[in-house]
Amino acid sequence: MTTVGEIHAVNPRMTCRRVNVYYGDKHAIKNVSIDIGRNEVLAMIGPSGCGKSTFLRCLNRMNDTIEGCRVTGTITLDGQDIYDPDLDVVLLRAQVGMVFQKPNPFPKSIYDNIAYGPKIHGLAQTRAELDEIVETSLRKAGLWDEVKDRLDHPGTGLSGGQQQRLCIARAIAVSPEVILMDEPCSALDPIATARIEELIHELREQYTIVIVTHSMQQAARVSQRTAFFHLGDLIEVGPTDRIFTRPRHPLTEDYITGRFG
Amino acid sequence: MKRGCWERAVRCGCYAAGFWVVSGAVAVVGFAVRQGAPHVTPKLLFGGVSAREALFGGAPVFDGLWPAVVGTFYLVAGAVALAAPLGLATGIYLAEFSRGRLKEVLTVFFDVLAGVPSVVVGLFGFSVSLLLHKMVSPRLGPCLLVAAFSLMILVLPYVIRATQSALEGVPQEVRITALSLGADPVQNLAWVLIPHSFRGIASGLLLAVGRCAEDTAVILLTGVVVTAGVPRSLLDPFEALPFYIYYVSTQYASPEELERGFGAALILLGVSVSLFAVAYAVRRAVGHWALYRA
Repeated sequence: MTTVGEIHAVNPRMTCRRVNVYYGDKHAIKNVSIDIGRNEVLAMIGPSGCGKSTFLRCLNRMNDTIEGCRVTGTITLDGQDIYDPDLDVVLLRAQVGMVFQKPNPFPKSIYDNIAYGPKIHGLAQTRAELDEIVETSLRKAGLWDEVKDRLDHPGTGLSGGQQQRLCIARAIAVSPEVILMDEPCSALDPIATARIEELIHELREQYTIVIVTHSMQQAARVSQRTAFFHLGDLIEVGPTDRIFTRPRHPLTEDYITGRFG
Repeated sequence: MKRGCWERAVRCGCYAAGFWVVSGAVAVVGFAVRQGAPHVTPKLLFGGVSAREALFGGAPVFDGLWPAVVGTFYLVAGAVALAAPLGLATGIYLAEFSRGRLKEVLTVFFDVLAGVPSVVVGLFGFSVSLLLHKMVSPRLGPCLLVAAFSLMILVLPYVIRATQSALEGVPQEVRITALSLGADPVQNLAWVLIPHSFRGIASGLLLAVGRCAEDTAVILLTGVVVTAGVPRSLLDPFEALPFYIYYVSTQYASPEELERGFGAALILLGVSVSLFAVAYAVRRAVGHWALYRA
Protein backbone atom coordinates (compact mmCIF):
# COMPACT_ATOMS: atom_id res chain seq x y z
CA MET A 1 0.00 0.00 0.00
CA THR A 2 1.36 3.45 -0.83
CA THR A 3 1.70 5.86 2.02
CA VAL A 4 -0.35 9.04 1.80
CA GLY A 5 1.23 12.33 2.89
CA GLU A 6 4.81 13.52 3.27
CA ILE A 7 7.28 10.81 4.19
CA HIS A 8 10.21 13.21 3.69
CA ALA A 9 11.57 15.48 6.40
CA VAL A 10 13.50 18.67 5.65
CA ASN A 11 16.57 17.72 7.65
CA PRO A 12 16.36 13.98 8.31
CA ARG A 13 18.23 12.36 11.21
CA MET A 14 17.00 8.90 10.32
CA THR A 15 15.82 7.61 6.96
CA CYS A 16 13.84 4.40 6.54
CA ARG A 17 13.22 2.96 3.09
CA ARG A 18 11.15 -0.09 2.13
CA VAL A 19 11.42 -1.58 5.62
CA ASN A 20 9.81 -5.00 6.03
CA VAL A 21 9.71 -7.00 9.25
CA TYR A 22 8.85 -10.68 9.48
CA TYR A 23 8.24 -12.73 12.60
CA GLY A 24 8.71 -16.18 11.15
CA ASP A 25 6.01 -16.30 8.45
CA LYS A 26 4.12 -13.28 9.73
CA HIS A 27 4.66 -10.12 7.73
CA ALA A 28 4.51 -7.55 10.53
CA ILE A 29 5.73 -4.40 8.75
CA LYS A 30 5.07 -3.93 5.06
CA ASN A 31 7.32 -1.79 2.92
CA VAL A 32 7.44 1.25 5.20
CA SER A 33 9.37 4.35 4.13
CA ILE A 34 9.62 7.40 6.35
CA ASP A 35 12.10 10.09 7.45
CA ILE A 36 12.59 11.22 11.01
CA GLY A 37 13.64 14.86 11.15
CA ARG A 38 16.20 16.47 13.42
CA ASN A 39 14.79 17.84 16.66
CA GLU A 40 11.31 16.77 15.81
CA VAL A 41 8.91 14.63 17.77
CA LEU A 42 7.38 11.98 15.52
CA ALA A 43 4.31 10.28 16.95
CA MET A 44 3.31 6.84 15.72
CA ILE A 45 -0.35 5.99 16.22
CA GLY A 46 -2.64 3.15 15.20
CA PRO A 47 -4.77 0.37 16.60
CA SER A 48 -3.21 -2.39 18.74
CA GLY A 49 -1.14 -4.83 16.74
CA CYS A 50 -0.67 -2.44 13.83
CA GLY A 51 3.11 -2.73 14.04
CA LYS A 52 4.05 0.66 15.43
CA SER A 53 6.05 -0.79 18.34
CA THR A 54 7.66 -3.33 16.02
CA PHE A 55 8.72 -0.53 13.70
CA LEU A 56 10.04 1.49 16.63
CA ARG A 57 12.22 -1.42 17.69
CA CYS A 58 13.76 -1.56 14.20
CA LEU A 59 15.23 1.87 14.78
CA ASN A 60 17.74 0.68 17.39
CA ARG A 61 17.78 -2.96 16.31
CA MET A 62 16.06 -4.19 19.43
CA ASN A 63 14.29 -6.66 17.14
CA ASP A 64 17.64 -8.47 16.97
CA THR A 65 16.89 -9.79 20.45
CA ILE A 66 13.69 -11.49 19.26
CA GLU A 67 14.11 -15.00 17.92
CA GLY A 68 12.83 -15.52 14.38
CA CYS A 69 12.59 -11.80 13.59
CA ARG A 70 13.91 -10.64 10.19
CA VAL A 71 14.24 -7.07 8.95
CA THR A 72 14.79 -6.03 5.31
CA GLY A 73 15.15 -2.61 3.67
CA THR A 74 17.45 0.19 4.75
CA ILE A 75 17.45 2.38 7.84
CA THR A 76 20.14 5.03 8.17
CA LEU A 77 21.20 7.22 11.05
CA ASP A 78 23.06 10.31 9.84
CA GLY A 79 23.62 8.55 6.54
CA GLN A 80 25.06 5.38 8.10
CA ASP A 81 23.17 2.13 7.44
CA ILE A 82 22.33 0.76 10.88
CA TYR A 83 21.84 -2.77 9.52
CA ASP A 84 25.35 -2.79 8.05
CA PRO A 85 26.97 -6.04 9.30
CA ASP A 86 30.09 -4.07 10.27
CA LEU A 87 28.13 -1.66 12.43
CA ASP A 88 28.62 -1.99 16.19
CA VAL A 89 25.13 -2.46 17.58
CA VAL A 90 26.35 -1.44 21.04
CA LEU A 91 27.30 1.99 19.72
CA LEU A 92 24.05 2.25 17.79
CA ARG A 93 22.05 1.69 20.96
CA ALA A 94 24.06 4.37 22.69
CA GLN A 95 23.08 6.75 19.88
CA VAL A 96 19.47 5.64 19.76
CA GLY A 97 18.16 5.32 23.32
CA MET A 98 14.91 3.75 24.35
CA VAL A 99 12.24 4.22 27.01
CA PHE A 100 9.73 1.43 27.55
CA GLN A 101 6.04 1.18 28.25
CA LYS A 102 6.38 0.12 31.85
CA PRO A 103 8.92 2.03 33.92
CA ASN A 104 11.72 -0.51 34.38
CA PRO A 105 14.51 0.82 36.59
CA PHE A 106 17.21 -1.68 37.50
CA PRO A 107 16.71 -2.94 41.03
CA LYS A 108 19.66 -0.82 42.08
CA SER A 109 20.24 2.64 43.48
CA ILE A 110 19.04 5.74 41.64
CA TYR A 111 22.68 6.70 41.06
CA ASP A 112 23.61 3.30 39.64
CA ASN A 113 20.62 3.32 37.33
CA ILE A 114 21.91 6.45 35.63
CA ALA A 115 25.61 5.59 35.91
CA TYR A 116 25.28 2.19 34.26
CA GLY A 117 25.18 3.35 30.63
CA PRO A 118 28.07 5.84 30.94
CA LYS A 119 30.10 3.16 32.73
CA ILE A 120 29.74 0.51 30.02
CA HIS A 121 30.47 3.04 27.29
CA GLY A 122 33.44 4.51 29.17
CA LEU A 123 32.00 8.03 29.09
CA ALA A 124 33.48 9.03 32.44
CA GLN A 125 37.13 8.71 33.49
CA THR A 126 36.70 9.76 37.12
CA ARG A 127 34.05 9.53 39.80
CA ALA A 128 33.59 13.32 39.60
CA GLU A 129 32.82 13.10 35.88
CA LEU A 130 30.36 10.31 36.52
CA ASP A 131 28.71 12.35 39.28
CA GLU A 132 28.34 15.20 36.83
CA ILE A 133 26.73 13.01 34.16
CA VAL A 134 24.31 11.63 36.73
CA GLU A 135 23.36 15.10 37.91
CA THR A 136 22.98 16.54 34.41
CA SER A 137 20.87 13.62 33.24
CA LEU A 138 18.59 13.80 36.25
CA ARG A 139 18.26 17.57 35.80
CA LYS A 140 17.34 17.17 32.12
CA ALA A 141 14.72 14.61 33.12
CA GLY A 142 13.35 17.03 35.71
CA LEU A 143 14.02 14.62 38.54
CA TRP A 144 17.11 16.08 40.24
CA ASP A 145 15.35 18.18 42.87
CA GLU A 146 13.17 15.26 43.89
CA VAL A 147 15.95 12.70 44.33
CA LYS A 148 19.21 14.60 44.96
CA ASP A 149 19.18 13.72 48.69
CA ARG A 150 18.56 10.02 48.15
CA LEU A 151 20.67 8.97 45.20
CA ASP A 152 21.66 5.81 47.06
CA HIS A 153 18.05 4.70 47.50
CA PRO A 154 16.69 1.97 45.23
CA GLY A 155 15.24 3.29 41.98
CA THR A 156 12.33 0.90 42.35
CA GLY A 157 11.18 2.82 45.45
CA LEU A 158 10.16 5.88 43.39
CA SER A 159 6.62 6.55 42.20
CA GLY A 160 5.60 5.35 38.73
CA GLY A 161 6.03 8.78 37.14
CA GLN A 162 9.37 9.32 38.84
CA GLN A 163 10.52 5.86 37.75
CA GLN A 164 9.66 6.69 34.15
CA ARG A 165 11.59 9.96 34.37
CA LEU A 166 14.46 7.97 35.90
CA CYS A 167 14.35 5.71 32.83
CA ILE A 168 14.39 8.75 30.58
CA ALA A 169 17.38 10.11 32.53
CA ARG A 170 19.06 6.73 32.16
CA ALA A 171 18.56 6.87 28.39
CA ILE A 172 19.85 10.47 28.25
CA ALA A 173 22.96 9.64 30.28
CA VAL A 174 24.66 7.94 27.32
CA SER A 175 24.20 11.09 25.18
CA PRO A 176 21.96 9.64 22.49
CA GLU A 177 20.88 11.53 19.38
CA VAL A 178 17.51 9.86 19.09
CA ILE A 179 15.21 8.72 21.91
CA LEU A 180 12.57 6.09 21.18
CA MET A 181 9.60 6.00 23.52
CA ASP A 182 7.24 3.04 23.46
CA GLU A 183 3.97 4.22 25.04
CA PRO A 184 5.89 5.85 27.88
CA CYS A 185 2.80 7.13 29.69
CA SER A 186 0.45 4.20 29.40
CA ALA A 187 1.16 3.05 32.97
CA LEU A 188 1.04 6.55 34.47
CA ASP A 189 -1.65 8.77 36.00
CA PRO A 190 -2.67 12.03 34.26
CA ILE A 191 -0.42 14.24 36.39
CA ALA A 192 2.66 12.10 35.81
CA THR A 193 1.68 11.93 32.12
CA ALA A 194 1.53 15.74 31.89
CA ARG A 195 4.99 15.93 33.49
CA ILE A 196 6.45 13.50 30.91
CA GLU A 197 4.81 15.42 28.06
CA GLU A 198 6.36 18.67 29.30
CA LEU A 199 9.66 16.86 29.44
CA ILE A 200 9.29 15.68 25.84
CA HIS A 201 8.81 19.32 24.82
CA GLU A 202 12.02 20.31 26.60
CA LEU A 203 14.02 17.37 25.29
CA ARG A 204 13.06 18.10 21.71
CA GLU A 205 15.52 20.99 21.64
CA GLN A 206 18.43 18.58 21.94
CA TYR A 207 17.13 15.24 20.76
CA THR A 208 15.10 13.63 18.03
CA ILE A 209 12.18 11.77 19.60
CA VAL A 210 10.00 9.02 18.21
CA ILE A 211 7.03 8.19 20.42
CA VAL A 212 4.52 5.39 20.06
CA THR A 213 1.24 6.27 21.72
CA HIS A 214 -2.29 4.96 22.03
CA SER A 215 -3.58 8.38 22.93
CA MET A 216 -4.37 10.61 19.97
CA GLN A 217 -4.60 13.59 22.32
CA GLN A 218 -1.07 12.88 23.44
CA ALA A 219 0.14 12.63 19.85
CA ALA A 220 -1.55 15.96 19.13
CA ARG A 221 0.01 17.60 22.20
CA VAL A 222 3.62 16.45 21.88
CA SER A 223 4.44 15.82 18.25
CA GLN A 224 5.19 17.83 15.13
CA ARG A 225 4.62 14.93 12.76
CA THR A 226 2.34 11.95 13.06
CA ALA A 227 2.46 8.58 11.34
CA PHE A 228 -0.62 6.35 11.23
CA PHE A 229 -0.07 2.59 11.02
CA HIS A 230 -2.67 -0.03 10.20
CA LEU A 231 -2.08 -3.79 9.92
CA GLY A 232 1.62 -3.33 9.26
CA ASP A 233 1.16 -0.61 6.62
CA LEU A 234 2.15 3.00 7.08
CA ILE A 235 -1.12 4.53 5.90
CA GLU A 236 -0.46 8.21 6.26
CA VAL A 237 2.18 10.55 7.59
CA GLY A 238 2.29 14.32 7.83
CA PRO A 239 2.31 17.36 10.11
CA THR A 240 0.35 16.53 13.25
CA ASP A 241 -2.14 19.39 12.98
CA ARG A 242 -2.92 18.45 9.38
CA ILE A 243 -3.35 14.73 10.19
CA PHE A 244 -5.82 15.49 12.95
CA THR A 245 -7.76 18.19 11.10
CA ARG A 246 -7.63 17.16 7.45
CA PRO A 247 -6.66 13.52 7.12
CA ARG A 248 -6.32 12.44 3.50
CA HIS A 249 -6.80 8.71 3.81
CA PRO A 250 -10.23 7.35 4.76
CA LEU A 251 -8.66 4.85 7.22
CA THR A 252 -6.89 7.68 9.04
CA GLU A 253 -10.10 9.63 9.21
CA ASP A 254 -12.00 6.61 10.57
CA TYR A 255 -9.35 6.05 13.21
CA ILE A 256 -9.03 9.60 14.48
CA THR A 257 -12.77 10.10 14.55
CA GLY A 258 -13.07 6.95 16.64
CA ARG A 259 -14.88 4.77 14.13
CA PHE A 260 -12.48 1.92 14.93
CA GLY A 261 -9.50 1.44 17.19
CA MET B 1 -25.60 -21.55 47.10
CA LYS B 2 -24.08 -24.28 45.01
CA ARG B 3 -21.05 -22.18 44.22
CA GLY B 4 -20.55 -21.41 47.92
CA CYS B 5 -20.52 -25.13 48.72
CA TRP B 6 -17.94 -25.81 46.06
CA GLU B 7 -15.73 -23.02 47.26
CA ARG B 8 -15.90 -24.33 50.85
CA ALA B 9 -15.14 -27.87 49.73
CA VAL B 10 -12.12 -26.79 47.68
CA ARG B 11 -10.85 -24.64 50.52
CA CYS B 12 -11.29 -27.44 53.08
CA GLY B 13 -9.50 -29.86 50.75
CA CYS B 14 -6.56 -27.47 50.39
CA TYR B 15 -6.35 -26.92 54.13
CA ALA B 16 -6.50 -30.64 54.77
CA ALA B 17 -3.74 -31.36 52.27
CA GLY B 18 -1.54 -28.63 53.76
CA PHE B 19 -2.22 -29.85 57.30
CA TRP B 20 -1.45 -33.42 56.32
CA VAL B 21 1.92 -32.51 54.82
CA VAL B 22 2.94 -30.27 57.69
CA SER B 23 1.82 -32.72 60.37
CA GLY B 24 3.72 -35.51 58.60
CA ALA B 25 6.90 -33.45 58.70
CA VAL B 26 6.29 -32.45 62.32
CA ALA B 27 5.68 -36.07 63.27
CA VAL B 28 8.94 -37.24 61.67
CA VAL B 29 11.01 -34.48 63.25
CA GLY B 30 9.20 -34.90 66.58
CA PHE B 31 9.90 -38.62 66.56
CA ALA B 32 13.58 -38.06 65.82
CA VAL B 33 13.81 -35.47 68.60
CA ARG B 34 11.99 -37.67 71.13
CA GLN B 35 14.08 -40.70 70.39
CA GLY B 36 17.36 -38.94 69.82
CA ALA B 37 17.46 -35.94 72.18
CA PRO B 38 18.28 -37.83 75.38
CA HIS B 39 21.27 -39.42 73.66
CA VAL B 40 22.81 -36.35 72.06
CA THR B 41 25.58 -35.81 74.58
CA PRO B 42 29.21 -34.77 74.30
CA LYS B 43 30.02 -38.43 74.76
CA LEU B 44 28.04 -39.35 71.63
CA LEU B 45 29.99 -36.79 69.65
CA PHE B 46 33.44 -37.09 71.12
CA GLY B 47 33.52 -40.48 72.89
CA GLY B 48 36.18 -40.68 75.54
CA VAL B 49 37.99 -37.51 74.41
CA SER B 50 37.05 -34.09 75.83
CA ALA B 51 35.34 -31.70 73.43
CA ARG B 52 38.09 -29.11 73.75
CA GLU B 53 40.83 -31.57 72.93
CA ALA B 54 38.87 -32.94 69.97
CA LEU B 55 38.03 -29.51 68.55
CA PHE B 56 41.23 -27.62 69.19
CA GLY B 57 43.83 -30.12 70.34
CA GLY B 58 43.61 -32.36 67.32
CA ALA B 59 43.01 -35.41 69.53
CA PRO B 60 41.63 -38.27 67.43
CA VAL B 61 38.04 -39.35 68.21
CA PHE B 62 37.55 -43.11 67.89
CA ASP B 63 34.19 -43.83 69.45
CA GLY B 64 32.21 -40.64 68.74
CA LEU B 65 30.35 -39.08 65.84
CA TRP B 66 32.53 -35.99 65.48
CA PRO B 67 34.51 -37.32 62.47
CA ALA B 68 31.21 -38.17 60.77
CA VAL B 69 29.92 -34.62 61.37
CA VAL B 70 33.11 -33.12 59.92
CA GLY B 71 33.06 -35.64 57.06
CA THR B 72 29.48 -34.68 56.19
CA PHE B 73 30.38 -30.98 56.17
CA TYR B 74 33.42 -31.56 53.96
CA LEU B 75 31.39 -33.75 51.65
CA VAL B 76 28.58 -31.22 51.21
CA ALA B 77 31.01 -28.32 50.83
CA GLY B 78 33.08 -30.24 48.29
CA ALA B 79 30.13 -31.43 46.24
CA VAL B 80 28.46 -28.00 46.14
CA ALA B 81 31.76 -26.28 45.37
CA LEU B 82 32.16 -28.62 42.38
CA ALA B 83 28.51 -28.45 41.28
CA ALA B 84 27.98 -24.69 41.61
CA PRO B 85 30.32 -23.34 38.91
CA LEU B 86 29.56 -26.11 36.44
CA GLY B 87 25.82 -26.03 37.11
CA LEU B 88 25.59 -22.24 36.91
CA ALA B 89 27.56 -22.13 33.69
CA THR B 90 25.48 -24.88 32.08
CA GLY B 91 22.22 -23.29 33.27
CA ILE B 92 23.30 -19.94 31.81
CA TYR B 93 24.25 -21.63 28.55
CA LEU B 94 20.88 -23.38 28.30
CA ALA B 95 18.87 -20.27 29.15
CA GLU B 96 20.79 -17.65 27.23
CA PHE B 97 22.82 -19.12 24.41
CA SER B 98 21.46 -22.51 23.45
CA ARG B 99 18.71 -22.53 20.83
CA GLY B 100 16.36 -24.86 19.00
CA ARG B 101 16.70 -28.60 18.88
CA LEU B 102 19.95 -28.81 20.84
CA LYS B 103 18.38 -26.92 23.72
CA GLU B 104 15.38 -29.26 23.79
CA VAL B 105 17.60 -32.33 23.75
CA LEU B 106 19.86 -31.01 26.52
CA THR B 107 16.91 -30.00 28.69
CA VAL B 108 15.39 -33.47 28.44
CA PHE B 109 18.82 -34.97 29.09
CA PHE B 110 19.23 -33.08 32.36
CA ASP B 111 15.71 -34.00 33.44
CA VAL B 112 16.57 -37.64 32.83
CA LEU B 113 19.84 -37.22 34.73
CA ALA B 114 17.86 -35.81 37.66
CA GLY B 115 15.87 -39.05 37.71
CA VAL B 116 18.85 -41.44 37.71
CA PRO B 117 18.77 -43.49 40.95
CA SER B 118 21.54 -42.40 43.29
CA VAL B 119 22.88 -45.94 43.58
CA VAL B 120 23.62 -45.87 39.84
CA VAL B 121 25.52 -42.62 40.30
CA GLY B 122 27.33 -44.32 43.19
CA LEU B 123 28.32 -47.21 40.92
CA PHE B 124 29.63 -44.74 38.40
CA GLY B 125 31.70 -43.08 41.12
CA PHE B 126 32.97 -46.46 42.21
CA SER B 127 34.05 -47.22 38.63
CA VAL B 128 35.83 -43.88 38.50
CA SER B 129 37.74 -44.71 41.67
CA LEU B 130 38.68 -48.11 40.22
CA LEU B 131 39.88 -46.41 37.09
CA LEU B 132 41.97 -43.95 39.12
CA HIS B 133 43.37 -46.86 41.09
CA LYS B 134 44.44 -48.68 37.94
CA MET B 135 45.48 -45.83 35.68
CA VAL B 136 46.86 -43.15 37.99
CA SER B 137 48.14 -44.56 41.25
CA PRO B 138 47.47 -47.72 43.24
CA ARG B 139 47.22 -45.55 46.34
CA LEU B 140 44.04 -43.94 44.98
CA GLY B 141 40.66 -45.48 45.70
CA PRO B 142 37.27 -44.54 47.06
CA CYS B 143 37.80 -41.27 48.94
CA LEU B 144 36.31 -37.91 49.85
CA LEU B 145 37.11 -36.42 46.45
CA VAL B 146 35.48 -39.25 44.48
CA ALA B 147 32.42 -39.13 46.76
CA ALA B 148 32.10 -35.35 46.37
CA PHE B 149 32.52 -35.73 42.60
CA SER B 150 29.78 -38.37 42.45
CA LEU B 151 27.43 -36.28 44.59
CA MET B 152 28.14 -33.42 42.21
CA ILE B 153 26.79 -35.54 39.36
CA LEU B 154 23.74 -36.31 41.49
CA VAL B 155 22.90 -32.66 42.22
CA LEU B 156 24.11 -31.05 39.01
CA PRO B 157 20.71 -31.36 37.28
CA TYR B 158 18.97 -29.47 40.10
CA VAL B 159 21.45 -26.62 39.91
CA ILE B 160 21.32 -26.51 36.12
CA ARG B 161 17.54 -26.56 35.82
CA ALA B 162 17.04 -24.10 38.69
CA THR B 163 19.47 -21.67 37.08
CA GLN B 164 17.91 -22.13 33.66
CA SER B 165 14.32 -21.61 34.78
CA ALA B 166 15.25 -18.66 37.00
CA LEU B 167 16.94 -16.94 34.05
CA GLU B 168 14.15 -17.79 31.63
CA GLY B 169 11.69 -16.36 34.13
CA VAL B 170 13.19 -12.87 33.88
CA PRO B 171 10.48 -10.75 32.20
CA GLN B 172 11.16 -9.61 28.65
CA GLU B 173 11.00 -5.91 29.55
CA VAL B 174 13.73 -6.38 32.17
CA ARG B 175 15.74 -8.53 29.78
CA ILE B 176 15.96 -5.82 27.13
CA THR B 177 16.57 -2.83 29.40
CA ALA B 178 20.34 -3.04 29.61
CA LEU B 179 20.53 -4.13 25.94
CA SER B 180 18.69 -0.96 24.97
CA LEU B 181 21.39 1.03 26.76
CA GLY B 182 24.04 -0.68 24.67
CA ALA B 183 25.08 -3.46 27.04
CA ASP B 184 26.41 -6.57 25.35
CA PRO B 185 24.90 -9.95 26.30
CA VAL B 186 27.60 -10.68 28.88
CA GLN B 187 27.16 -7.31 30.59
CA ASN B 188 23.42 -7.84 30.54
CA LEU B 189 23.91 -11.21 32.19
CA ALA B 190 26.18 -9.91 34.92
CA TRP B 191 24.34 -6.70 35.66
CA VAL B 192 20.69 -7.57 35.17
CA LEU B 193 19.84 -11.20 34.51
CA ILE B 194 21.82 -12.97 37.24
CA PRO B 195 21.01 -10.47 40.03
CA HIS B 196 17.38 -10.63 38.96
CA SER B 197 17.20 -14.40 39.06
CA PHE B 198 19.49 -14.80 42.04
CA ARG B 199 16.82 -16.13 44.39
CA GLY B 200 15.84 -18.90 42.01
CA ILE B 201 19.46 -19.85 41.36
CA ALA B 202 20.19 -19.92 45.11
CA SER B 203 17.16 -22.13 45.68
CA GLY B 204 18.67 -24.69 43.32
CA LEU B 205 21.89 -24.60 45.32
CA LEU B 206 19.96 -25.00 48.59
CA LEU B 207 18.23 -28.05 47.19
CA ALA B 208 21.64 -29.40 46.23
CA VAL B 209 22.95 -28.86 49.78
CA GLY B 210 20.04 -30.82 51.24
CA ARG B 211 20.42 -33.64 48.75
CA CYS B 212 24.17 -33.94 49.40
CA ALA B 213 23.72 -34.02 53.17
CA GLU B 214 21.21 -36.85 53.13
CA ASP B 215 22.31 -39.13 50.32
CA THR B 216 23.68 -42.50 51.41
CA ALA B 217 23.73 -44.71 48.33
CA VAL B 218 26.34 -42.63 46.50
CA ILE B 219 28.83 -42.35 49.35
CA LEU B 220 28.32 -46.01 50.29
CA LEU B 221 30.06 -46.93 47.05
CA THR B 222 32.56 -44.12 46.83
CA GLY B 223 34.54 -43.84 50.01
CA VAL B 224 32.56 -43.75 53.24
CA VAL B 225 33.82 -46.11 55.96
CA VAL B 226 32.87 -46.94 59.53
CA THR B 227 36.02 -45.59 61.14
CA ALA B 228 38.35 -43.13 59.48
CA GLY B 229 38.74 -40.22 61.87
CA VAL B 230 38.56 -36.62 60.68
CA PRO B 231 39.72 -36.71 57.02
CA ARG B 232 43.14 -35.17 56.55
CA SER B 233 43.05 -34.91 52.79
CA LEU B 234 40.63 -35.15 49.89
CA LEU B 235 42.12 -38.53 49.01
CA ASP B 236 41.25 -40.13 52.37
CA PRO B 237 38.22 -42.26 53.11
CA PHE B 238 35.84 -40.53 55.50
CA GLU B 239 32.92 -40.98 57.86
CA ALA B 240 29.49 -39.46 57.28
CA LEU B 241 26.33 -39.23 59.35
CA PRO B 242 23.78 -40.74 56.92
CA PHE B 243 25.98 -43.79 56.48
CA TYR B 244 26.42 -44.14 60.24
CA ILE B 245 22.65 -44.01 60.71
CA TYR B 246 22.18 -46.57 57.96
CA TYR B 247 24.63 -49.10 59.27
CA VAL B 248 23.71 -48.71 62.96
CA SER B 249 20.03 -49.17 62.22
CA THR B 250 20.64 -52.26 60.09
CA GLN B 251 23.33 -53.92 62.21
CA TYR B 252 22.85 -52.79 65.79
CA ALA B 253 23.85 -55.35 68.41
CA SER B 254 22.27 -53.69 71.44
CA PRO B 255 19.45 -51.22 72.20
CA GLU B 256 22.10 -48.65 73.20
CA GLU B 257 23.61 -48.79 69.76
CA LEU B 258 20.23 -48.12 68.18
CA GLU B 259 19.78 -45.14 70.52
CA ARG B 260 23.09 -43.79 69.28
CA GLY B 261 21.60 -44.11 65.80
CA PHE B 262 18.66 -41.90 66.80
CA GLY B 263 21.11 -39.43 68.33
CA ALA B 264 23.01 -39.40 65.04
CA ALA B 265 19.77 -38.79 63.11
CA LEU B 266 19.08 -35.76 65.26
CA ILE B 267 22.62 -34.47 64.73
CA LEU B 268 22.21 -34.95 60.97
CA LEU B 269 19.02 -32.88 61.15
CA GLY B 270 20.98 -30.23 63.04
CA VAL B 271 23.80 -30.29 60.47
CA SER B 272 21.29 -29.94 57.62
CA VAL B 273 19.50 -27.07 59.34
CA SER B 274 22.77 -25.25 59.98
CA LEU B 275 23.89 -25.80 56.38
CA PHE B 276 20.56 -24.38 55.22
CA ALA B 277 20.96 -21.44 57.59
CA VAL B 278 24.42 -20.69 56.21
CA ALA B 279 23.12 -21.00 52.65
CA TYR B 280 20.19 -18.68 53.41
CA ALA B 281 22.50 -16.13 55.01
CA VAL B 282 24.78 -16.26 51.98
CA ARG B 283 21.79 -15.91 49.67
CA ARG B 284 20.55 -12.82 51.51
CA ALA B 285 23.96 -11.22 51.72
CA VAL B 286 25.03 -11.96 48.16
CA GLY B 287 21.58 -11.12 46.80
CA HIS B 288 21.68 -7.72 48.41
CA TRP B 289 25.25 -7.15 47.32
CA ALA B 290 24.45 -8.18 43.74
CA LEU B 291 21.53 -5.78 43.55
CA TYR B 292 22.80 -2.76 45.43
CA ARG B 293 26.58 -2.76 45.17
CA ALA B 294 27.99 0.65 44.43
